[in-house]
Amino acid sequence: MKSPLFHVVKREQASPAQQLMAYVAAVILALAVGAVLLSVQGVEPVTFYRQLITMGIPGSRYPWRAVENFIRLFVPLLIVSLALSLAFKMRFWNIGGEGQFIMGAFWAAVAAMKLGESLPKPLMVVVMALCGAVGGGLYGVFVAALKVKWGTNETLLTLMLNYVALYFLQFFAETKGEWNFFLDRSSARPRFAKFPESAQMVTIPIGPFNLNLSLVAALVLCVILFVYLNYTKRGYEIAVVGDSPNTARYAGMKVGKIVIRTIFLSAALIGMAGALHVSSAGVMSASPTNDVGWTGVVVAWLAKLNTVGIVLASLLITVLQYGCQTASTIYPSIDANFANLLQGVILFTVLAVDFFTRFKLVRRGGKEAVK
Amino acid sequence: MGEQQYAIEMQGICKNFGSVAANKNINLNVKPGEILALLGENGSGKTTLMNMLSGIYKPDSGSILVDGREVAINSPEDAKRLGIGMVHQHFKLVDVFSAADNIWLGDDKSGPVLKKDRYGVIGEMAKRFGFEIDPRKKVYNMAVSEKQTLEIIKVLYYGAKIIILDEPTAVLTVQETAKLFDVLRRMKEEGHAIIIITHKLNEVLEISDRVAILRKGEYVCTVDTPSTDEQKLTEYMVGRKVELNIDRPLVEKTRPLLEIRELTIRNDEGAVAIDKVNFYIRGGEILGVAGIAGCGQKELCEAIAGLRPIESGMMIHKGDNIVGLSPRAILDKGISMSFIPEDRLGMGLAPSMSITDNMLLKKYGQSSGPFVDRKTGRAEAEQVIQDLEIVTPSTETPVRRLSGGNVQKVLLGREIKAGPNVIVTAYPVRGLDINSSYAIYDILNRQKKDGVGILFVGEDLDVMIDLCDKIMVLCHGKVMGVVHAHKTTKEELGLMMTGALDLSSKYEDKPAGIAKDSRIENNEEVEE
Repeated sequence: MKSPLFHVVKREQASPAQQLMAYVAAVILALAVGAVLLSVQGVEPVTFYRQLITMGIPGSRYPWRAVENFIRLFVPLLIVSLALSLAFKMRFWNIGGEGQFIMGAFWAAVAAMKLGESLPKPLMVVVMALCGAVGGGLYGVFVAALKVKWGTNETLLTLMLNYVALYFLQFFAETKGEWNFFLDRSSARPRFAKFPESAQMVTIPIGPFNLNLSLVAALVLCVILFVYLNYTKRGYEIAVVGDSPNTARYAGMKVGKIVIRTIFLSAALIGMAGALHVSSAGVMSASPTNDVGWTGVVVAWLAKLNTVGIVLASLLITVLQYGCQTASTIYPSIDANFANLLQGVILFTVLAVDFFTRFKLVRRGGKEAVK
Repeated sequence: MGEQQYAIEMQGICKNFGSVAANKNINLNVKPGEILALLGENGSGKTTLMNMLSGIYKPDSGSILVDGREVAINSPEDAKRLGIGMVHQHFKLVDVFSAADNIWLGDDKSGPVLKKDRYGVIGEMAKRFGFEIDPRKKVYNMAVSEKQTLEIIKVLYYGAKIIILDEPTAVLTVQETAKLFDVLRRMKEEGHAIIIITHKLNEVLEISDRVAILRKGEYVCTVDTPSTDEQKLTEYMVGRKVELNIDRPLVEKTRPLLEIRELTIRNDEGAVAIDKVNFYIRGGEILGVAGIAGCGQKELCEAIAGLRPIESGMMIHKGDNIVGLSPRAILDKGISMSFIPEDRLGMGLAPSMSITDNMLLKKYGQSSGPFVDRKTGRAEAEQVIQDLEIVTPSTETPVRRLSGGNVQKVLLGREIKAGPNVIVTAYPVRGLDINSSYAIYDILNRQKKDGVGILFVGEDLDVMIDLCDKIMVLCHGKVMGVVHAHKTTKEELGLMMTGALDLSSKYEDKPAGIAKDSRIENNEEVEE
């Protein structure tokens, strides 16, 4: 019997610095794979990547506009990833970010269309955010309640409710009628009407640049969630329930209550992200999510549910997406989907690197294995 | 080479996991027709060593010889082909399959189609080896001892000449163990080489021909069983002299702390797990609970801790009813429950969290304000680590990374720190080596001296006879009687555990399990 060429050996615990290095290496490796694919299509990888990373900002006539658009992509992804990490910490597999986001956007839009004329601007945006949070939160907590009461599978339910939400919204987007206050009455074809001025996101002008207030909100949220998860009793409860529900019950925790509270919070934040997003856009859309419900799952896991990591990972993914969009306007053979491809390769290399920080391969004969 | 070829020989085996050396330069050999006991404390590398024989791990260096020929065992299939079979501590069976199908499943020669005659073939082969088993019986309907028999038949069916058993007696009663040993002796006569891992020294002396001892991953020596005794084996294992007596200090008993009357509990499947049970615990006594695995111990512990609703009956703590109270309220009354399940981590600890965080598990809510008070937790963790000699890099190490004995010390340490007046503890020494076990008995005895009432659900009858004041025996959820530990024997307990002996109505004038000085008045509440 011959030994296989390699076998797997456990490594010592890698230090945080080593791990960070490994992740950087993983991203570089993924970009290298991307470079090969670009060359095959006749695109010069170095210029393409420069375009991608600078996102077309230098030399642009409206560089501020690019930053504003970038923030508009970044904020929803950041909030959704944070919110998902809350649920994932508890081992509640909420993959219903899409649906909760849509529901948040929907109820925010209802508020905007119904109350937009009567409420002043800053208050209106707050009302929208609250309506979005409640709408998204209830949509998520429904699943949590079913799980607590009857032990249903949250993965299946949140997944399916994504499509329910999507088609629910599409019904309003495509059905013309006297009652449908979402649509632009002046248009012959069904089209969403713009929100009233007071329902548009508050921006703080800094010179030519308009700082989107939702970015400030998202960053504040990061800090709050970091403290909540790591230092408060409720964060402690989430960690225990996630680690071992039996132990939590044994310690006298009300597990059902904790699950429902946490999932409401998670889904409400996602709903709020939806509300902030449509408010920033100023108009409802039939598919408002830009896939953040899915991408958020990737980000949360890339960051290993670490709050600081989530900020970095969502920044990275947004740069990829936005950069590919701008870069692809120059190269006709590449389109924005290249970002998705790179995203996939990065996830793959990070997982591979993760494996190699914990294990190593030893060649047959394996003399180097014995230290 | 000597007069007889070794069935298996391991020479200079080394195995590292990261920077931890699990096995260092180990030599081991077994002859055909011999039973070798492998002895060592927890974490001494016994299972790792055996996993290298069965193809789960590969040695970093050293060689393995089967029948004098050097071999490389890269996978369990290789091991099977070489005639090495292992019966793992946790059975590797498919619950929904029948006995025959479980065997057929791993058979290379059986082909892709399930043949009708498999029941006959396997039934016959089992009979030839002298086993009684119904090949059509589904595994989920089997008792633990039947599952084990099936595992052994499986190994034999694949043609194993070398059989490794990892702690086979941990889950068996005295009678079942005797039966297993008969089987082992018969296999030995047929020329099989057998390696048996066990913590129980009396069993080692009873069954083995030679004993190989490991200590902290290193090979100590191999001795002939007739020339040794428990004391010597322990010294080899621990590396120094150890006192092998368990104390049973006499403490003045108080009035009953916890009284259980006519308690009936159902298990998860809805069947009656505990059936009209009466007993009481006084302060300053240890009441043992003996019984075959799964005869209601778990349900009883859970009910006392408020984790499982009861069907009917009373649970009275210091005269107060605790039925229907929340787990939190029961904790606040000073009743502590620690249950060590088979996987050791399932209940009572959060494995990925630090020792500090685990210390806070039951009291994180007591500090004021919204934040968790980790400062207190860390101080307590430090103290428990010091008091119980827990081996850990720091207070922030996840509990999962500690070895079994240290995990259990963290759990017990926390429970005792809370200053309970009743301790319910199930299998506190499960899987622990002698040294750690004695440390835990010591902790329990100190609590007993402080007037705490202890309910000790145990596995090892020898230990229970030495440690407990009284022993209650359960069989299928019914009390078979409560006996004084110093007056009973292992055989008597064994018979009671299987239901063959019922002492529950020995004294007709005095109902069993009801204290004379009960705090429950005679005009009991009428129950629905």
